[in-house]
Formats: sequence, C-alpha cells, structure tokens
Amino acid sequence: MELFLYTALFSPLVGSLFAALFGASPRTKIAGIVPSILLGVSLISSTILLVLVLTTGHTVHVEMMTWMATGDLYIPFGFVVDQVSVTMMMVVTLVSTVVHVYAVGYMDHDKGFNRFFAWLSAFVFSMMVLVMSDNFAGLFIGWEGVGLCSWGLIGFWYHKESATWAANEAFIMNRIADLGMLIGIFLIYWNTGTLQYAEAFAAMPGLDTDTLTWIGIFLFIGAMGKSAQFPLHTWLADAMEGPTPVSALIHAATMVTAGVYLVVRSNELYALIPHIGLFIASLGAFVAIFAASMALVNRDIKRVIAYSTLSQLGYMFVAAGLGAYWVALFHLMAHAFFKALLFLGAGNVMHAMDSELDPFKMGGLGKTMKGTMIMMTLASVALAGIFPLAGFFSKDLILEVAFIDNHYIIYTVLLFTAGLTAFYSFRIVALIFHGEERYKLFGFHPHEAYKFMLIAMSPLLILAVIAGSFKMTYFEMVTYVLPATEYHVHNPAVYWIMTIGTQIFVIIAIYYAYKIYMSRDIKVPDGTSKMEKSFGYKLLINQYYIPYFYEEYLVKPYRELSTLCWTKIDQKIVDASVDGIANAFYKTGENTRTMQSGNLSTMLKWMVAGTVALLSLAVVFGLAARHSDEIKAILSALGV
Amino acid sequence: MLDNILSILIFFPALAAVLGFVVHKDSIRSYGVAVATIEFALALLLWFFFDNNVSGMQFMETIQLVPTFGINYIVGVDGISLFIIILAAFFTMIGIASLGETKDIKNMIITLLFLQMTMVGVFASLDAIVFYVFWELSLVPMLYIIGAWGGPRRIYASVKFFLYTFAGSLVMLVGMLFMAYFYYQATGQWSFAILDWYRLILPESFQLWLFVAFFFGFAIKVPMFPFHTWLPYAHGQAPTIGSVILAAILLKMGTYAFIRFSLPLFPDASVYFMFPIAILAIIMIIYTAMVAYAQKDIKQVVAYSSVSHMGVIILGTFALNVEGISGSIFLMIAHGVVSGALFFLVGVIYDRRHTKMMDQFGGLASVMPRFATIFGIMMMASVGLPLTINFVGEFLSLLGFYQQSHILTLLAGIAIIVGAIYMLAAYKKMFFGEVTKEENKNLPDVNKRELIALVPLVVITIWLGIYPKPVLGPINTSVEAVVQLMHEKATSEEAKKRIPNLDILINKTSTREAH
Repeated sequence: MELFLYTALFSPLVGSLFAALFGASPRTKIAGIVPSILLGVSLISSTILLVLVLTTGHTVHVEMMTWMATGDLYIPFGFVVDQVSVTMMMVVTLVSTVVHVYAVGYMDHDKGFNRFFAWLSAFVFSMMVLVMSDNFAGLFIGWEGVGLCSWGLIGFWYHKESATWAANEAFIMNRIADLGMLIGIFLIYWNTGTLQYAEAFAAMPGLDTDTLTWIGIFLFIGAMGKSAQFPLHTWLADAMEGPTPVSALIHAATMVTAGVYLVVRSNELYALIPHIGLFIASLGAFVAIFAASMALVNRDIKRVIAYSTLSQLGYMFVAAGLGAYWVALFHLMAHAFFKALLFLGAGNVMHAMDSELDPFKMGGLGKTMKGTMIMMTLASVALAGIFPLAGFFSKDLILEVAFIDNHYIIYTVLLFTAGLTAFYSFRIVALIFHGEERYKLFGFHPHEAYKFMLIAMSPLLILAVIAGSFKMTYFEMVTYVLPATEYHVHNPAVYWIMTIGTQIFVIIAIYYAYKIYMSRDIKVPDGTSKMEKSFGYKLLINQYYIPYFYEEYLVKPYRELSTLCWTKIDQKIVDASVDGIANAFYKTGENTRTMQSGNLSTMLKWMVAGTVALLSLAVVFGLAARHSDEIKAILSALGV
Repeated sequence: MLDNILSILIFFPALAAVLGFVVHKDSIRSYGVAVATIEFALALLLWFFFDNNVSGMQFMETIQLVPTFGINYIVGVDGISLFIIILAAFFTMIGIASLGETKDIKNMIITLLFLQMTMVGVFASLDAIVFYVFWELSLVPMLYIIGAWGGPRRIYASVKFFLYTFAGSLVMLVGMLFMAYFYYQATGQWSFAILDWYRLILPESFQLWLFVAFFFGFAIKVPMFPFHTWLPYAHGQAPTIGSVILAAILLKMGTYAFIRFSLPLFPDASVYFMFPIAILAIIMIIYTAMVAYAQKDIKQVVAYSSVSHMGVIILGTFALNVEGISGSIFLMIAHGVVSGALFFLVGVIYDRRHTKMMDQFGGLASVMPRFATIFGIMMMASVGLPLTINFVGEFLSLLGFYQQSHILTLLAGIAIIVGAIYMLAAYKKMFFGEVTKEENKNLPDVNKRELIALVPLVVITIWLGIYPKPVLGPINTSVEAVVQLMHEKATSEEAKKRIPNLDILINKTSTREAH
C-alpha cells in the first residue's frame, strides 16, 4: 500500500519537474499532456487507497526519512492516509486532473504553456503534502508550498502590473497568517514536546485551557490567511488575475479549503476549547453574508464566483466551529466539485469573449454555448442548494447544525445568505446566457469551447449532481476519526417546514434573479442610473472600502516609514554619529597639527605648559591621597 | 597528513598565494582554480574523517609560541566550526572559478587566496591570540579588494570598513587580555587557550564587563544594529566577489565568536544580556528589513536583507538552548549560501548593464528566463520557504527562542512578513512587467562561467533544505556540549533556570574558581 501512497504523492512532482524541463523552450503539447497523465496516475492511486480505507478501515502510515532533528525536536517526513486525508486526496487529485486536462485546451495559445503546467503540478504536489503529512511541520511545508505556487500562478501573466501586484498581495497576506500558524506550532512543540499529530493531540487534554486557547487561536489565524477569512480576505478577489483554471483549482476547490482542513484535522484540539469554536463559527457566518453581499453587485464574473467561494468557506467554518467536522468536510468536498465547474464554465465564457469579464456586455450566449450554459446552470443550482443536487445535502445540513445547536442568529444569517447566494449565482447566469445579445455591440464573436474541454468538465458535473448520494457512505467512513454526531431535527413538522421553507425561499431568489436580469431593458451600466449612485451600491462595489483602507492606512504608511527609516534614521542619525565620531578625531588632529610647527620657541612654550599641567596634577593627587578619609566622608555624606 | 590537516588547510592557500606571484598572468586563473579546488577537496576530506559522535575538538594541533604567557598555536574543529570552514573553502573556489573580466586579475586571485588563509584560521584557531591575529588579518585583503576594485567611493567605504571593525576588535583584545589575567590569578599560570578558559568560572560582575568588551568586537563584525552602517557602504562599493565573501563568510566571524567565546565563557552574563540583545536583534530584523524595502539599488536590498537575517541568527544564539543555537549555526551556513548567491546574481546583472538601480530594469523574466528562475529560487530561500536551506535555520532559531520569550519571538517572527515584502517588491521591479528599456531587450542569459557558481549554490540550497541531517547532526552534538557546559558553569539561579540541563557527560576536567 505504501507504493500507492508514494505514487499518489510524488507523481505530480514528477509531472511538474518534467514540465519545468521545457520551461524555457517554446510551447509543446507534451509538457501539458505528461503532467495530466501523471495526475491521472495519482488519482488512480488515491482511489485505490480510498477503496482500501473504505473496505477495511485500515489506515496507511509511513515515515520516509528524517527532516529536522536537534535537541528534543524530531520532525520526519511522515505521511498518513486516513479517512480524513483520503477524502482530501480524492478531492485534490480529481479536481486537479480535470483542471489539467481542461487547461491543455484553455492555455493552448499561451506562450507560457510549459511553465504553466510546471507550476500547476507543483501546486498539486504541495497540496498533497499539506493533506497527507502526519505532523504540523509537514503541513507547514505544504502550506507554504501552495502559497508559493499560488504566487507563481496568480502572477502567471507577469507582464501585467495588476497580476504581479495581486500575486504579491496574496503572498504577503498569507505570510501574515503564517506567522500565526508558526507561533501555534511553537506553542504545540514546547507544550507537548512533539509535532506529530497523534502524539500532540494525545497530550493536549493534559494542558491547561489558556494554553490550548492560545494554540487554537494561533492555528486559526493561519487558517484565516489561506481560507481568506475576514480581515485577510482581500487577496482572494484580486487573485482572479490568474488564469481561470488556476482560479478553479486553487482559489475554489483546494488551497482555500486548507484552513478548513486544518480545523478539521485539529478537531481534538478544538473540541477542548468550544469557545474558540463558537468564535470561528461566528466569524464564518459573518464572512458568509459579508462576501455574498459583495457578490450581489460585482461586474466581473470571476470576482462574483470568488466572493461566492469566500461565502461558502464561511459556511464550512460555521460547521467546523460548531463541532460538526464531518459536515464541514462534506461541504468542502461538494463545494469543490460545483465551484470548480462554475469557474471552468466561466473560463469557457472568457475564452469565447476574448477575456471580457463584464456579464453586462454578454447576454444571450446560451445560443452559441449550450454545453457551457447547461453546466454553469446546474453548478449554480447545486450551489444554491436545490434538491437533489450536491449543495442541498451539504449546505442545508450546515443550516440544520446551526439550528440544532441553538445558534439561531447564525442560522438566520446563513439562511438569508442562502437566498443571496441563489440570487447572485443566477444573476450572472441570466446576464451571460439569456436576454438580449448585448455582446454584438462590442463586436465579439463567441464560440463554444473545444469538445474535449467540455468532456473534461463532465466528471465535475456528474459529481455536482450526485455527490449527495454518497453522504451515508462518507459519514460512516470519516466518523472513524471524526466525532460522529448526527444532526437530525427531531420534530418532523419542524424538519419539513425548515427544509421546504428553505427550498421555496431559494427558488424565489432564483426567480427574481432571472426576472430582473433576463429583461430586455438591461443595458451596460454607465454610472448614471439611480442604483449606481446609491450609497449601498457604492459601498458594495468598493468592497466596503476595505482595500482602499489597507492601501491608504497600511501600505502607504509602511512605504513612507521605510523611506523615513532609511533617509532619516539610518543615514542622518545612526551613520552620521559614526562619521561624527570619526570626524572629531580628524578635526582634533587637524587643529593640533600647528603645535608641531618645528619652531623652537613654540615647542618650548608647549613644553612649559605641559610641565605645569603635570605638576599641578601631581599636587592634586598628593592632596587627595593625604585627605582621602575626609573626601570619602564628604562623598558618603552626599550619598555617593 | 590527517594530523596536520588543519594547518595545511590554513597555510596551503597562503603558500600558494606567495607562489602565485611568479605564475604567469595568463595562467593565473587556472592556477587559482586549482589551488582553491585542492583546498576545497581537503576541506571535504576533513568532513569525511570528522567523527560525528564526538562533541569536543578534533584534529587538534598544538605548537608552543610564547610559553611564558601561555600563547600557543592551537587549532581544532568541532561541529560548530567545521561547516563554516568548508563553506569558506567552497566560496573561494566558486568565487575564483566564476571570476569575470577583472583588471589585475593576478592580484585579485592572490588576495583571495590570502583571504582564505585568514578565514580558515579564524574558525580553526583555539587560542585567543592566534584567533585575534587571523581576525585582524582578514581585514587587510578585504580592505584591498574594496579599495582596489571597488566603485567610485571605494576609498571612503574601505577605510570606514577597516577603522570601524578595527576599533571594535581593539576593545575585544582588551577583554581577551583581562580574561587571560583572570586565568592567571585563578591558576597561577598564563593561558590564552580557549579550552582552558572554558574551565574557568568567573563571578557574575566580571562576566558582565568582559561580555561587554567582547560584544563590541563581535557586534560590529556581525554587524548588529546600530553598528551596521559600514556594511551598506562596503557592499555598495565592493566588487561582486568581495561582497560575496564578505556576506557569506566574514560576517559569520561575529556570530561564530558569540558561540565560541561569549556563551561558554560568560553564561551568567549571556542570560543577563539575553533580553537587551534580543531586542537589538528584533530591531535589526524589522528595521533593516524596512530600510531594505526603501532601497532603489538592488545590491543595497540584498545588503540590508543580509543584516536583517543576521538578526535571526543572533536571536537563535541567545535562545541558549540546543534548538536555538543549532538553528543559528545552521542559519549561518544557510545565510552564507543564500546571500552569497544573491550577491553573485546581482553581479551577473551588473556585469551586463553596469547599473544596479532597479528602475533601470523591468520585465527581465522574459529576457533572461534562467536568470529569473535562479534568482527566484534564491529569493524564495531568502524569504524562508520550507524545503530551502534558510527555513531550517530560521525555524529552529525562532523555535528555540520561543522557549525564552513568547512575545519577543512573535515580534521577531515579523521577519517572515517583512522579508517577503522587500524581496517580492524587488523581484517584481526587476523581473516583472513589460521590458521598457531598449538596452534590456537583448541581454544575454546567464552563461556557463556564471552557472559554475550558481548551480552548486542552488543544489545546496535545496539539498540541505530537504535533508539537513548531515550538517545538523554534527552541529547538534557539539551544541549539546556547549549548552551543558553553560548550564554547569552558570552560577546564578536565573541562568541555571534559563539554560537547560541536558544531563549529558562532557569531557571536562576540573573547573576552577577565579577570585
């Protein structure tokens, strides 16, 4: 079984290195095909491991070699395939394989084709390390590795200022969170003496609550960065500068869920500190509605989907924070399928529209892009949580969790957000595919994507539709390692009212979205309409002015302070004092040089002066020695 | 030969340098490469025969010089100094091999070989006076390199470099003389042997004064804030090879000396000054990182970043536990490799464009993809990404210090944020965007000669990042002995508490009290 583990883990790395070999040469199809095949191999190995874990309940644990060992610290490269990590492995390899195949078509005109696959496969490898490691240090390797690849892929079109800016923003913001993570790791090491999950979690019940709380807080700060939770969320929307397959894989399905994975993985820790869990859940609920509100008005289809991702991550954190770890992981999985599908669909639209992203400039694309339309519509239905698609089983479950645990405020917020989700999802579907063909005004000639790209997307479509039916199998599997709390509303009347009520609410939202945005009156907004002038719209379109605030009050002051440190402090104070001391010596030498004029009478004068000075010193010391007792008495009287 | 391998390592380059005067100008380059390669092979041989399980000194040699005053030529290596010696030999080798078009190339190579003698000498000597002699001698070749091959303000820069560090070492020399005197008082005989000094337990008040005296010498060399201002000038004016050796090896003398002298000689003072020094280190980390961010000259960015990382090394050293000190020694190696490589890379672009101003570049990633890749790898190593050499050192240093203070480690950890800020900003300015300048459109990518230096550095960066054990193992063994010695020698309650007791036996003879 170890063989399958190593195959699953390392074949993406091999693929990445293979593509990197062609990094500087002109684009060759082979640099995309080989990594895709290798990812398929990784997917097959993961599936075999999944079957093994499902049927026998055994887990695979290997220790490859020592990484760091000094003092009492011992960190190996250790990997574990258990019920949680195998779920993540399946999600990662499946979505990556789809995205790789898709990208062979999507990127086929790009100069950086080979480089793209080197980065993309490297990302998958890092992500596998992240989910498969059996210790916090290994997790951190993957954690930083995905950050690096995300940097390389957001800034993939490096000639674009906005892309490289977004890449740096993402990296630096994640670094801020990583510091929290690092401190969490230090705390774990000094309190439990190990970084291995099993041993560290086993030691945790013996620690005092304060320490555990701090560990929980710092680890969660790490999670907040990767999963783009408020206030570290701005990078995710800007990350949409990257190529669309990247957005699908990294910024929807896998990397951003790493934070959720961390909380699920640390469930034994968070179970001991429910107050931190409640905080996580509250923040999650806040982010859910906060992000959904920004998605309502945005005029960039990728950004809308990015805010939607952010909002769904909020749902996952609610579940994880309330202790429903298996629910969080289930929604993570379902979300990965339909959100990746949505992004890839958006990619098709962008391809068709020469990278235009404003849905108001589209309209009526359904006629030329039937396949894409069906896929995006179904993905949106799944996202909205309509029965019997995947979202219904995973997202409504989170609502039930909040309800059953008596967190009615969180429940209400999430319910309302579900309506918003349905509305903004179908807003863009309606704007893109239905209504007037506004694109004609701008001279676009849309066309459907390659057949094989659509075929590549189909596994995601199938999963987005049927993933709900795995719920029981999945539940039985992961509850080997996660708390097996079942969430049932016991009163059948309440249950049916809730479920049907939610469905009706969501359907009404969809209906309104279609009604408003399919109409023939939709024009490309030019900033003159009443709505666009309203305060609420301005607030939302400017993302609550948070990016502006960061730029004005954090980035600029940092830049100015840095310049100040250099020009004023370093040069004018620190270095000037050094030069000042040196100059004092020079000046003294310069001024006393005239003493040595060689003139006999001047020399004699100095000699006399010197003699007098020495004699007077001798007298002073002589007197001081004679009267030393009295001097001491006087000094001690003065308190010296 | 093994019995005298250290002396051979020290004096072979010097002898070769003297002989180099009679070598013809055309063949001096191959002569230099040959000598440096032999030297490096010898250094590897040293590693091969090094016993990883011994914590004390190995390959020791003793020759009496002035027996009446206890001044002897004593050399030896342990896990702490071994890898810095190898690193010094390695950098001299690739430095000479990749030397570009240089005027007076003969003098340059002779100077570099002479410099190599002083570097190996410093790290191998176990007698304070011999140590001091090599320490000061190392200034001369560097002064010459900056002064003869430097930029327009080379005289100012080299004189500043020399006088500043020299002034610091004089204070250190006074400290050494006092130390020997205390030893004389305690035992009735003079000794400058460091291993003898290790056995001397000083009262805390003496320790404090001596610690401060040594501190000046070391801190200026490191250079610690606020004694760092000579460094930007030296780097700014020095030729590429000078900057590389300065950053990779010469700065390590200061941090190495802290571990060789300050910690084991003055354990109580080390604990007493731990927090003030940690605060200086944190200022160094954050403040110089901010200054680096404000720079317009890429070489200055690398220079200030090098100071910033030295702050982490200092912090790890004063963690006073095995994790921290091992980490800081490992980080010395890592910093040598990474900042050395970064200076090489800056040299590559300077050779082509004769400017180091970042606003003169932009979009280089498409013109020089291989250069951009190597620069990117080294940048990520400098930022401290896991599986690169720097991460191991930084992680362990910070982890170690966390035991001493939570809040200070949190502040020092800001290093990983500010480090990313200036590095990514610089990389973006140089490599991303459109190629706007006409001169940049046809720049040749890195050539074979440059790859000779860069490829091995990339390999080491990744190899030791994934598998640091061959280096970390011996370091760990020796550091455990140092920590145990410090714990046993510590007199104050505070120090006993701060420095962990490892319960291991170290080969020590009796300790004596000074009065």
